[in-house]
Amino acid sequence: MASQGTGSSGQRTNKTILGRTLFLAVVCGIVAFIVLGVQLYNVMIREHEKYEEMAVRQQTRSVSVSASRGTIYDTNGNTLARSATAYTVFISPYEVKMYHEKEYKKNEKVYKDEPTLIARELNRILGADYDAMLEMMKDTKSWYKTVATKVSSEVADQVRQFKKDYSIAGVHIEEDSKRFYPYGDLACHVIGFVGRDNYGLEGIEALYDDSLEGTNGSVVRLVAQNGTEMLFENYQNYNDAIDGNDMTLTLDSTIQAVAEKYLQQAMEANYIQNGGCVIVMNVNTGEILALANANSYDLNDPWGLPQETLDEIALIEDPEERSKAVETAQLAQWRDMALSDTYEPGSVFKIITMAIGLEEGVITENDSFPCYGKIPVGQIPGRDSDLHCWKHAGHGEQNLRQAAMHSCNVAFANIGLKIGAETYYDYVDAFGLKDKTGIDLSGESGSQWWPRSEFVGWNKSSLASASFGQTFNVTPIQMITAVSAAVNGGYLMEPYIVKEMRNADGDVVYSKEPTVVRQVISEETSALVADILQSVVGDDGGTGSNAYVPGYRIGGKTGTTTKTALERQTGVREYMVSFCGIAPADDPEVAVLLVLDNPSKESGIYVGGGQMAAPYVGKIMSEILPYLGVQPIYEPEEEALLDVTVPRLIGSGVVVAREKAKELGISVREVGAGDTVTAQLPVAGAQVAAGSQIVVYLGEPTPQETVVVPDLTGKNVNSARNALQNLGLYLDTSGASPAISGVKVASQAVEPGTEVPYGAVINVTLVDKSNLGFY
Amino acid sequence: MERYGNERRMDGGGAPAQPQYAERELRDRRAESRRIERGAFDLPFFLLTLLILSIGVVMVLSASFARAYYSGGNGMGIFLRQLGFAGLGIALMIFLSTLPSTFYRRMSVPLLLVTGLMLALVPFLGTGKSEVGANRWFNLGFTTFQPSEIAKIAIILFFAHLICLYRGRMKTFRYGVAPFAGVLGATVFLLILEPHLSASVIIIAIGAIMMFAGGTRLWYFIVGGGVVALAGFIVIRFFPYASSRVTVWLDPWSDPLDKGLQTIQSLYAIGSGGLTGLGLGQGRQKYMYLPEEHNDFIFSIVCEELGFIGAMLILFLFAVLIIRGYWLALHAKDRFGSLVIVGITSLLAIQVFLNVAVVTNFVPCTGISLPFFSYGGTALLIQLGEMGIVLSISREIPLRKKKSEDGEGK
Repeated sequence: MASQGTGSSGQRTNKTILGRTLFLAVVCGIVAFIVLGVQLYNVMIREHEKYEEMAVRQQTRSVSVSASRGTIYDTNGNTLARSATAYTVFISPYEVKMYHEKEYKKNEKVYKDEPTLIARELNRILGADYDAMLEMMKDTKSWYKTVATKVSSEVADQVRQFKKDYSIAGVHIEEDSKRFYPYGDLACHVIGFVGRDNYGLEGIEALYDDSLEGTNGSVVRLVAQNGTEMLFENYQNYNDAIDGNDMTLTLDSTIQAVAEKYLQQAMEANYIQNGGCVIVMNVNTGEILALANANSYDLNDPWGLPQETLDEIALIEDPEERSKAVETAQLAQWRDMALSDTYEPGSVFKIITMAIGLEEGVITENDSFPCYGKIPVGQIPGRDSDLHCWKHAGHGEQNLRQAAMHSCNVAFANIGLKIGAETYYDYVDAFGLKDKTGIDLSGESGSQWWPRSEFVGWNKSSLASASFGQTFNVTPIQMITAVSAAVNGGYLMEPYIVKEMRNADGDVVYSKEPTVVRQVISEETSALVADILQSVVGDDGGTGSNAYVPGYRIGGKTGTTTKTALERQTGVREYMVSFCGIAPADDPEVAVLLVLDNPSKESGIYVGGGQMAAPYVGKIMSEILPYLGVQPIYEPEEEALLDVTVPRLIGSGVVVAREKAKELGISVREVGAGDTVTAQLPVAGAQVAAGSQIVVYLGEPTPQETVVVPDLTGKNVNSARNALQNLGLYLDTSGASPAISGVKVASQAVEPGTEVPYGAVINVTLVDKSNLGFY
Repeated sequence: MERYGNERRMDGGGAPAQPQYAERELRDRRAESRRIERGAFDLPFFLLTLLILSIGVVMVLSASFARAYYSGGNGMGIFLRQLGFAGLGIALMIFLSTLPSTFYRRMSVPLLLVTGLMLALVPFLGTGKSEVGANRWFNLGFTTFQPSEIAKIAIILFFAHLICLYRGRMKTFRYGVAPFAGVLGATVFLLILEPHLSASVIIIAIGAIMMFAGGTRLWYFIVGGGVVALAGFIVIRFFPYASSRVTVWLDPWSDPLDKGLQTIQSLYAIGSGGLTGLGLGQGRQKYMYLPEEHNDFIFSIVCEELGFIGAMLILFLFAVLIIRGYWLALHAKDRFGSLVIVGITSLLAIQVFLNVAVVTNFVPCTGISLPFFSYGGTALLIQLGEMGIVLSISREIPLRKKKSEDGEGK
């Protein structure tokens, strides 16, 4: 059958097919796969990390978790600033569009115009701008358009309800935080506030922003390309947020409130036209217990302005000018005068001059510093006019204590000249008056002093003026820090306000110990300075008598200056009055400096630190010293003048009642003939001035009539008490010591002419007006 | 020489009349069925096919779940459909394995004609898929299918038939090149009308392999290869569409959001796999990052989830299946069977190679599915059908070998 030829040809063909098939098997079955293997090796092993990183970058979404901002506490743990959860509402226009398209395909019962619905409802709930929202939703590529921030949880719930009711997609609520200041405007300049994005803008909030804000964390999730979370995926990378540090201040909100209250009273009573500030410092540690400026504002609405300011601004026509005025007004209300503004301290600075002189031994307490009203021209090298004392008649013969009590310019100019410019300048530096104090608050300014070369030259007029606090400028915080050094044993302290910081776990991460910058004067000198300052307030003839508080050994020094630079430039005379008090003088604990800028004579009060500032420092002291646990110590003559607390006598037998009254040193008038006290005037617990006579009724009814309050102003204590007693009323006093001659009633709590019940107690404020002057 | 007896007779008789041919065929078949007891099909080839198919179907589930879920279903839809077609395909494979190889030879000419008709009609009657922009599918209502898939097997069967027909004259241009080139040219022309570039490339490749195996002179391949290379160069050089593909191939990041997107996302997936992979079902790129993740780019998900080790294991299974295919070809009863297996096995190898090469950006991106893995009902049916043909031919091997050994022994 098979021919040989074709057979051999078939054989050859078979061989060809066999060979070529084997060749194909090697190429397609082995070589091709080796090539693929190498390619896979390259992509999967060699370039694995590169591609994995790129893949993960597109597959993950990082959601920021905001750290909670630290809380700010006062020294007693009262919350001054805290963060509460608030919410941010945002729209994802992309999702709104996608949802619409998807749902519209699925069924007909969808809202055909979601953007309008969303805009309408969010406008209703959040008050957000309707048109702006519609505009936002036109940007359908965007995933994130913020509608409202700092939304409370109640409002956020309403948004959630809306989403649920209409099954809305693309409206989201994000957790955020809002800063709350429970005390409103209390210590506003110290605490400061945060901006809309929770960054600190002023005060502690700004200076310690890094520490308070904490570190935001993140949650990294795997998401599908459409942004939804991957199914079955549990890959989540948590990067916990680290909450900010909590901060405890040295500030005491009680003392702060007292300081602010009396600062405000001082501002109003004295018709202060510019500003005012008060600082309360622990003299031994440098802790700031209170710091307030008159231009306070609500920390919960720091951009808000008082109505009268707004009314004024509303009158400005030009809108640009108007917004500028708003900005200026905001900056003005945020200004921290106590730290940022400098002033001429005036006679308060005599404390420093006295301390230098005593420390250097150029003067002693018993040296004589006669004053004949002026140092004639020619006696002070470089001065081209007489150096007048504020009392042109002169103070006559006086020792150091008396010179201080009199706030005698001539005496202190002479002390300064005795010290010498070089030494004086060294001490100014040593008292920290040329450097910033280093207080941990933002916005501290430096002082303005002559250059050393100028100060120490042949011209001694600068030295003479500086000795009573004129022709240079310091900040209030510098002044109180220097005074503290002068009375605390001589140690210049670094003032501070942040006592401690704790992290979120409660561990202390920062703790400030009192820092002694240097010892400036000896303990002995310091003790003597404090003692002399107590005489300025407590002794008869002292110029600081209006700061007196019985039992608390208040020391202090007044200050009054005119703004010479302003006067030279504009011809307008403005005053700066101040008082720096310390207490208790035998072992000083606190210093209070009250500075009032530009009082008005219209107030009817004599323009001067002794009349305008001292009474309020006294009032502050009278409240904070008992609060701080300072024990009053009454001198026998002081005790005789103290107010008396009326005991409860009702129900007692007449004999017992007499005994009780006798113990307290109160005279009693008996009305009626019974054996038991049935009524008394005034009521038990009332405070009445020493020497008041109380009335007990033995069966007789008390008079039910009303009494018209008389005008007591200008009367001394005795006549005021008698005037009231004759009417069946009682006197209670505060303010300057009644023991000081010349102390008069300056104001009374109940206006003259008011009808009050028989037996009522009338409170009056005593002011020493015997020594009116520019001191 | 018993082996090529039929062919020789046919060659010797010139072009026989149709009745004679049918009559003889019938007689032969009767004789054959008497003489040749068809044995069991090749078990290794069958089991390897099933194993690869199973892995493929599981990977379809993993790869498709996310997209199926997000497009508003229970996520199992695509998988269940593929599973159904796999079952149907296995049945088809087993059924086709029972038919004698002579049946396929008889079918070769009609199948080519039907294919030609379908390819001619598909530009007019076919449907496209919006993302491709070409009419490549016939919609049968319950499913769609691509005539190009049928064209591949039709070319294999027809070329095997033709090679057997021109057995002794394959080295000549007239018989060894011209008819093949003519058929290929016509087919590719119809495919270009759709247009369907990747199918054209595969059909040319498989045609060339058939000719190569059939004994066409190597010289013609060198010339043909040169012509193709020149044509390719001209196309790439002067057609912006093609040249942009090359640009994107060389640097996918030159157009990361459009033309380079698939390649970049595929590389992300494959590269993420590393040595051991993210774990089955743990892939991330399938979450709508990687387009065609359960079709042409399913192997990227395989790499991402099963790692280098898993991917290489699957490639190894393919390689073993392919080598087993060539082994069966070498042992086939006759030249036709041998050539058909070479064609089908080579087709499988080409598709696997090109698919993996595309997803790893080894060659420019074009749409080639991975056999037994990529989602697609009719494609899977046809692939399993092809395996059935291989199995059918394999059933005739043991007896043949035995007979031939016996014959030689006498």
